[in-house]
Amino acid sequence: MNENETQLKIQALVDGELTGREAEELRARLESDGGLRALHARLTAVRGLMAGAELPRTLPESGDFHWSQISKAIGHGEREARRLAKPALGANWLLRWVMPLAGVACLVLVLSRQQTTMPDLNILLGGDHELELTDDEIDVMTFNTGDDAISIVWLDYSIDLQQDSLQLWLD
Amino acid sequence: MSVSRDNPPMNRFTVFVALLLFVSSGYVTAQADPITVQAWLVLGSSKEQKDKMEVPADIKKKLARVFKWMHYYQLSSRQLNIADATTESAKLSRAATIKVTNKKSGKVAVSLFSKGKMLVQKTQSLKPGHHMVLAGNTKTDSAWFIVLSKSK
Repeated sequence: MNENETQLKIQALVDGELTGREAEELRARLESDGGLRALHARLTAVRGLMAGAELPRTLPESGDFHWSQISKAIGHGEREARRLAKPALGANWLLRWVMPLAGVACLVLVLSRQQTTMPDLNILLGGDHELELTDDEIDVMTFNTGDDAISIVWLDYSIDLQQDSLQLWLD
Repeated sequence: MSVSRDNPPMNRFTVFVALLLFVSSGYVTAQADPITVQAWLVLGSSKEQKDKMEVPADIKKKLARVFKWMHYYQLSSRQLNIADATTESAKLSRAATIKVTNKKSGKVAVSLFSKGKMLVQKTQSLKPGHHMVLAGNTKTDSAWFIVLSKSK
């Protein structure tokens, strides 16, 4: 322990800030070391002189006030960080309205272009044709080609395509 | 104003002949000539099946123009000679039968039966070279077609 540390220890002893064991060790050294004993006596005298001379200092604001100010400053900093993290108001409006509208417009454009570019199959709905269905549960679609060369009745019905064995033999 | 009565019998005869021609022409047009109808049962498939016979080229061309399948195979074919105002039937598969009626004004009525139960009847004028098609899906990714055309 160097001299400066020793002096600080003695100062702490005078101020009553040393723990019991440290204080006992230092007191033992004081008995054997005259220089230290003199320093201890001097510091004790100074402390005695200053004991009644210190002016009381009161804080202009209470401790709670300062802590609340610190808390407010932290909260303000966090809010500012969140505000900077969010997009600007204009960008927010853009994301909320313009982008969906642009998406819908693109969809309409694509669908309309698909309709105009669909292949012309030259198909017309049947006109003077008569159609009689006996089962209402079968979905039917009928149409003619444009030149009327082929008329089609499409049934949502699967018929058995297997041939009779006798018929095949006759064929 | 006076009305001439010099040749009333001639006028009556002319009117009578004209009336007779009008009635007889209407009677003739109301009659249907005997017709020959060809019917094909066709399988439309996206897969090539070499063990089956393809339909005539003109039918394949017409079907492929409308439908998505690439291959059209003839499963059976029948020819029906149908007299005036009569009906002929043809069995195209174990379950499918058609009845074709020769109606007046060039019209034909085609009835499709499946397992004895009529599914649909289509009546239309069918000119030679034109086709009537009754069709539907199968349980696999293929389709059946009954194609009819009038030869005469």
